[in-house]
Amino acid sequence: MYEPLVGTILGWIVAVGIALAGLLVILIWKKDRTRKLSYLRLFIQMVSLVGLFYSFTLSLWLMVFVIVIFGLTFFSGRFFCGWVCPFGFYMDIVSLIRQKLGVKYWMLPDRVNRALHWLRYIIAAVILISPLLLGALNFVPASQIHALFLRGPYRPYAILLSPLEPLVLPFTGAIADLGFFDWSISYPYARDIIFYLDVPQVTSIIIYVFVALTLAATFMFRRFWCRFCPTGISIAAANRFNGLKWMPLLHINKVEEKCTKCGICKRVCPVQVTEVYEQKGGNIAPSTCLNCMRCIEMCPYEGCLKMNLAGKTLIESRNWLEPSDVK
Amino acid sequence: MKSQTAEKKYLPEMPQKEIDEANASVKSTSEKIMVDNIERMKKTDPNRPAAMKYFDDISNFFGQRKEEIEAEKAKGRKVIGYFCIFAPIELILAADAIPVRVNSGWYDTSKFGDRVVPVEVCPVIRSTIGAKMIGLSPYLELSDAVISTLTCDGMTKLSEILSDATQIWTMTPPRVKDSAQSLHLWKEEIKSIKTQIEKLTGNKITAKKLKAAIETMQKATKAFRRLQELRKGNPVIMGRDAMLVNQMSLWDDITRWIQKTEALCDELEKRAAQKAWACPPDTPRVIVTGTPMFWPDNWKLPSLVEEATPQGVLVGDELCSGDRILYDPVGIDEWTMDDMINGIAERYLMASTCPCFTSQDGNEDRINWLITKVKENNANGVIYYVVRGCMLYAMEYARVKRALDKLSIPVYYLDTEYTREDVGQMKTRVEAFLEMLSARVDF
Repeated sequence: MYEPLVGTILGWIVAVGIALAGLLVILIWKKDRTRKLSYLRLFIQMVSLVGLFYSFTLSLWLMVFVIVIFGLTFFSGRFFCGWVCPFGFYMDIVSLIRQKLGVKYWMLPDRVNRALHWLRYIIAAVILISPLLLGALNFVPASQIHALFLRGPYRPYAILLSPLEPLVLPFTGAIADLGFFDWSISYPYARDIIFYLDVPQVTSIIIYVFVALTLAATFMFRRFWCRFCPTGISIAAANRFNGLKWMPLLHINKVEEKCTKCGICKRVCPVQVTEVYEQKGGNIAPSTCLNCMRCIEMCPYEGCLKMNLAGKTLIESRNWLEPSDVK
Repeated sequence: MKSQTAEKKYLPEMPQKEIDEANASVKSTSEKIMVDNIERMKKTDPNRPAAMKYFDDISNFFGQRKEEIEAEKAKGRKVIGYFCIFAPIELILAADAIPVRVNSGWYDTSKFGDRVVPVEVCPVIRSTIGAKMIGLSPYLELSDAVISTLTCDGMTKLSEILSDATQIWTMTPPRVKDSAQSLHLWKEEIKSIKTQIEKLTGNKITAKKLKAAIETMQKATKAFRRLQELRKGNPVIMGRDAMLVNQMSLWDDITRWIQKTEALCDELEKRAAQKAWACPPDTPRVIVTGTPMFWPDNWKLPSLVEEATPQGVLVGDELCSGDRILYDPVGIDEWTMDDMINGIAERYLMASTCPCFTSQDGNEDRINWLITKVKENNANGVIYYVVRGCMLYAMEYARVKRALDKLSIPVYYLDTEYTREDVGQMKTRVEAFLEMLSARVDF
């Protein structure tokens, strides 16, 4: 009933937002070279939010997105996470607000960060296995097992909070709509576990706790969720095996001689990737890197850091103190 | 501003008459040398940029700038001196104090320093001690406190010796840059120096003020880099002139320095468009690395290179008194106090290529810096300048030579003293090196 209305309102908000953001980009474009790429990224995140929003309300198969995104991470790393993901956008906005409030961010110790990276594998495993387990518990007919993977209608607001909405959000679908066979696809995570608990109050409490926790954690640590979001493990896999080393096509490339090791790249990274700083030179494709290109944007040495796609340079660091690109 | 009653640990008592006499004689020699140096710079490049006039004037130690600082001081502003370029200038500016670098370049004062430390000690140190003993350096005398970073052995003891006569704040840089604990130590040092600056000046360093200071320094870096960028092509400016401009950023009012440097760069760009070169484009291009050289006396090597036959031109240097001063900007992600302090700490420690650092790869930061400089500025040769007693630079020579040999860039090790006596002998050595370089250029 209210869904079309909400959809329209959201659509308007987003449209106005895009216009404002576009304006912002143009304003920033000429002024501050350390910010323009970041704002462009926010703009693209916003546009993709609209894109995702409409494709979801059109009841396209989200599973297609999931497969495409997972597939792409093999080749482009977590480009999706940095530039498209709506949940990432939400976290960036939270960071921006914190920044405007003048509150400092916290850093996780490198050891904790590394431990969180391992947590990704566990989360991924849980996600993959849980539908089967739940299916076994509930005696779902074999012909309907796939429905466990592909179910749940999408609430418009859900998109705001979820990267791959089904991966993250203990929300929507299952409670509101008990039909197993609506094909407005989902992918079970906490939500379905909650569904099988069958206590709606608990569900809503968990939802609020989840939202509050992500909000608080993101307020303290930049891009907190991304540090253990399993989306990035495919590139980790591609990097691990020798035969697959060719797979990541999108690389950060570092020229060793031009690097003075000033440490800016390490400090500005929202997920505290240290490889860009530590590695001597050449191609760098850490599995946690979001390809947000913040390090490239902030590196003050001409041509020291580059983003390469299959050997071609997309963007490179430059002396951001200079206002023009005149060579 | 230590109380005069405190017992002196190092500095000898000198009768006031002797101090005055020494001061007067060294000062008059120094004034002559400054004029002479500038005259020689004008002679080398008859078509010298008009904007250099300002830098010539400001370079006089006993002239305009000294009076300006005195006037500011009378108004209640504090002056904070520093030795190494590890001192966080942004913090000094944010506290509304005046930063000045107080290393001494006077040859004649080193003989007074000999009374305190043996002649084997680095002449930069001896000369600075001597300058303090006879009260020669106006900037050192005007400093309310001096930030001394304990980089080399000389600096470590220098701060101890000078604390007899002035207030010294020491900062300990870690010798290894790449570890979490080093950075932690350095950040604490920066925070403690911040507290001390606030205490001395009575001004609280707020986020707003610090942001303004960082932005000023970023503008300075921008102007500074623009000048270095212009030295990459055919020579539009002689190396000595550029070095003078670079060094004036250490003493001058930074906002004014930015304006004047931008004006100079505008002029140079016009010249580049007109192809009005400062010297023939096939002049051998030389880069200097090693011990810092300070205006006015220690202008020996640059003068020799650019006045030699065959002539050479200094297209860059890897000196902490030259191209390294403002090269690195403070990059700030978020303008919060915490991030700004982190940014300042990292810029001064990690981007530094001082030989006091070591790493598993043999201080590769300095090597990389030099290689980039050599490549980007198309240098034909490198002069490795070391004053006797400067251990760290002397010891790194073998490492640098090997790295540059790989690029087949000739390196020449030139050691000297704080003296004018070896000018003739140095001239022969420099000319032989330039002869070889120009043969290579022709070839």
